[in-house]
Amino acid sequence: MTRTADLLVIGGGATGVGVAWDATLRGLSVILVERKDLAEGTSGRFHGLLHSGGRYAVKDPNAARECVAENRIVRRVAADCVEDTGGLFVTTPHDDPAFADRLVAGCAATGVDCEEIDPGEALRREPRLNPGISRAFQVPDANIDVWKTVWAMTRGARGRGAEILPYHDVVAIRHDGAAVSGARVRDVRTGEEREIEAAVTVNATGAWAGRVASLAGIDGVRILPGRGIMVALGHRVLNTVVNRCQMPTDGDIIVPIRTVSVVGTTDQNTDNPDDETVPQQEIDAMLTEGEKLVPGLRDGRALRVWAGVRPLFEDAKADDSSSRDVTRAHALLDHAQRDDVDRFVTITGGKLTTFRLMAQDTVDAVCRKLGVERACTTDTEPLPGSESGENYRLGARLARKEAALVSEQMICECELVPLAKLKDALNDTASTVLDDIRRRLRLAMGPCQGGFCIYRAAGVMHELDHLDASQANASLRDFLQERWKDLWPVLYGDQLR
Amino acid sequence: MTERLHFDVVVIGAGTAGLAAATRAAQDGARVAVLAKGIGSTHLAPGTIDVLGYRSEPITELAPAIADLPADHPYSAIRELVIDDALSWFERTVEQGRLPGYRYVGDRRANRLHPTALGALRPSALVPETMAGFEHVGDGPVVIVGVSCLRDFHQDPCAANLRAAGLDARAVTVSPELERADMNALGIARHLDDVDWRSRFCATVRPHIGGATAVGLPAMLGLNDPHRVLMDLQHQLGCWVFEIPTVPPSVPGMRLYEILAGALRRAGGRLVLGAEVVAHARAEDKVTEVSTRAAGRDLSYSADWFVHAGGGFASGAIELDSHWAAHDRVLDLPLTGLPEPDGQRFSSTYLDRQPMVTPVSRSTVSFERRGSPTSSSRARHCRVRRRGRSCQRRGSHSPAPATLRSRSNSVLAERRRLREPCRSGRA
Repeated sequence: MTRTADLLVIGGGATGVGVAWDATLRGLSVILVERKDLAEGTSGRFHGLLHSGGRYAVKDPNAARECVAENRIVRRVAADCVEDTGGLFVTTPHDDPAFADRLVAGCAATGVDCEEIDPGEALRREPRLNPGISRAFQVPDANIDVWKTVWAMTRGARGRGAEILPYHDVVAIRHDGAAVSGARVRDVRTGEEREIEAAVTVNATGAWAGRVASLAGIDGVRILPGRGIMVALGHRVLNTVVNRCQMPTDGDIIVPIRTVSVVGTTDQNTDNPDDETVPQQEIDAMLTEGEKLVPGLRDGRALRVWAGVRPLFEDAKADDSSSRDVTRAHALLDHAQRDDVDRFVTITGGKLTTFRLMAQDTVDAVCRKLGVERACTTDTEPLPGSESGENYRLGARLARKEAALVSEQMICECELVPLAKLKDALNDTASTVLDDIRRRLRLAMGPCQGGFCIYRAAGVMHELDHLDASQANASLRDFLQERWKDLWPVLYGDQLR
Repeated sequence: MTERLHFDVVVIGAGTAGLAAATRAAQDGARVAVLAKGIGSTHLAPGTIDVLGYRSEPITELAPAIADLPADHPYSAIRELVIDDALSWFERTVEQGRLPGYRYVGDRRANRLHPTALGALRPSALVPETMAGFEHVGDGPVVIVGVSCLRDFHQDPCAANLRAAGLDARAVTVSPELERADMNALGIARHLDDVDWRSRFCATVRPHIGGATAVGLPAMLGLNDPHRVLMDLQHQLGCWVFEIPTVPPSVPGMRLYEILAGALRRAGGRLVLGAEVVAHARAEDKVTEVSTRAAGRDLSYSADWFVHAGGGFASGAIELDSHWAAHDRVLDLPLTGLPEPDGQRFSSTYLDRQPMVTPVSRSTVSFERRGSPTSSSRARHCRVRRRGRSCQRRGSHSPAPATLRSRSNSVLAERRRLREPCRSGRA
């Protein structure tokens, strides 16, 4: 069976789903395929920082400017997914004191809203910070729940007729050497294959973009995957994003998000975008660095550790003029200009904070190919659930729970997920993978890491007839293994209890 | 100012191990205090007494399995007779305990199988009488009854996995009148202790029984009077009734704690909760005194004997720090059996045997024959230290058998938590 659409998007990360959302707002018909669950790759494996631009102000001014603009837009249109924690840059005794002035100059040049505050005031706000800090600057950093964002865009796109298909792998890209006309995809859960015919195909597969481009016979889309690890701590050790006041390096940022804090990150080149290795020495280095920001961090409870892979783009056809006018932060490749293969566009590079801009640039290019002229509206149109424009507050779930104290059953106490919400998510996704439910609801992401709630969730799934007993057992086993993968490298101290 | 107290025996830890050791010493006439940071894992564990559940396969006959253990296994040091003695002591203690009529069931020589919350069958040496009705399940159909407001037990997967094990099991849900949509087993157990509520509960279950031989319920059959709850339910429902462990809190485990804590008090022992041992003093190689920080004041306890029943990693008594060094946080005793510093600490596969967890816990106990605590001054890594009088002078019971028997609940019995269900390919 062949399906047709104006646009086929390959890749269900924040960028790919952002492209689908943007394109449906412009009235295009869209099919999106993702080989795993939505935001399971790079998007779901970062620290959760919505950049103010401060981190790039000195090193990469173009990227900083993009962040400034996107930060303002995203915290408005995805208000319900963003927590306005604010951010700090602090000069610890381990940092070059001269960098602070470069930061101030860089922020001024790129438009980052940066204000110096008294170190005593910074310590009053964040008492666990290193008491030896000598300077402190506040910036509008925030955190963003990427799964919530991606699923909000998915709901919006589906509401406008898009087909968003997780667990669909691309088997082949339909092309005749001169143009691409869609793809052959396989439902990895049923094995069923189908043809998708599309006027334009977008390759939004990030670190995997080279592989997907080669399916269309295009070489030289070289992605250097940069693997970074992140360690989640069992508490909000800080309530503000805190950065070291130095050139960005390993383990120099702590992002409080939901019930945990995330220490990030490292950067190791790898050949394999599926590389999820977490070397012990990297964890140790992160803890040692984190200790410089928050003394005693080593004695706290590390909850889990994971690796994500950045799509660092290095064009093997660097002399080609097509990529010159895109910013350095992300790369939009029109393969008609670059490789004489029409109706095929690759979007890669970039960072989570600029996913909306990447989607906008991509859909602009798609519209040019389709010969339609429709302006992007994702900068003003709120995502479903964010219409009120009110940012997420940490206490919001607790307030809801308090209001329904005796009438509502809680499945996950850490993340306050009620039974009704679990049932809605189960009915909505029809997924039998507990890990998918984790990403949807944050079930099992809190301090107990699934110790109590996963048995409950498996029981509910079974009762709803989503799976029989042996499937429920398997799903439980798979989940426990999936959690264990992220747990055992940090199984020390209270986490081992 | 620090206040000083003296006891014959100070036991550190109020889990099954510590409470049983202290109670036996107190019954032998010793002045005993139990110091504990908090209650032990009784409230989390299913409340069964598991002597030795698995070697490579689930164990049925205990004696040959114990005889077959390697020489460095603590059971090899104390032998089967001591284990049997400890189990009889335990049965007597429960029967004479504060829950009228409540007892543990088992023949002490062979394991019996009992379902987990997921319906997998798990071997135990002794189970509370409230679980024992499961032995009648083979005789006819069984109904697994869930309660809609209890999120910690799911009747459908439990029944489905029992069916997969060849039993004639089906699942039903009942909705007895309760004041909130969200209850745990403890809340329902308190209701079931009430005779009127119990009758109304039976009325909701009765229509679902059909011709069933037995009814399986989540482990919630009363906290204060489980024997009467069991008898009454069986009478009102007209069939066997048994309870199945749930996600914590564990009602059978809480009963076990109440029984042991009560036995300790009746024997004249003192139980001090919220008393974390924060320091200790030694003379030569012997512990002479421990200090606790509790309720705003420091207290020191000197004693002839100190029994370290503080547990392992799970209780926090042994800590593995972020540099991967392990410490005994209570008495700073040397630990053995740890993986090499650069060796494999954990397997990346969850259901594999994990090198780190088992060896530390196992090897931290070291025993001489007849269950006496190691007394040689050269054996520095024993967990039970003595000072002054020898244990023989104080009578036939040393704390060790009790300690060992109750440790059997977890480590010695090779209980495998989630591995149990999974390794058989079922839940």
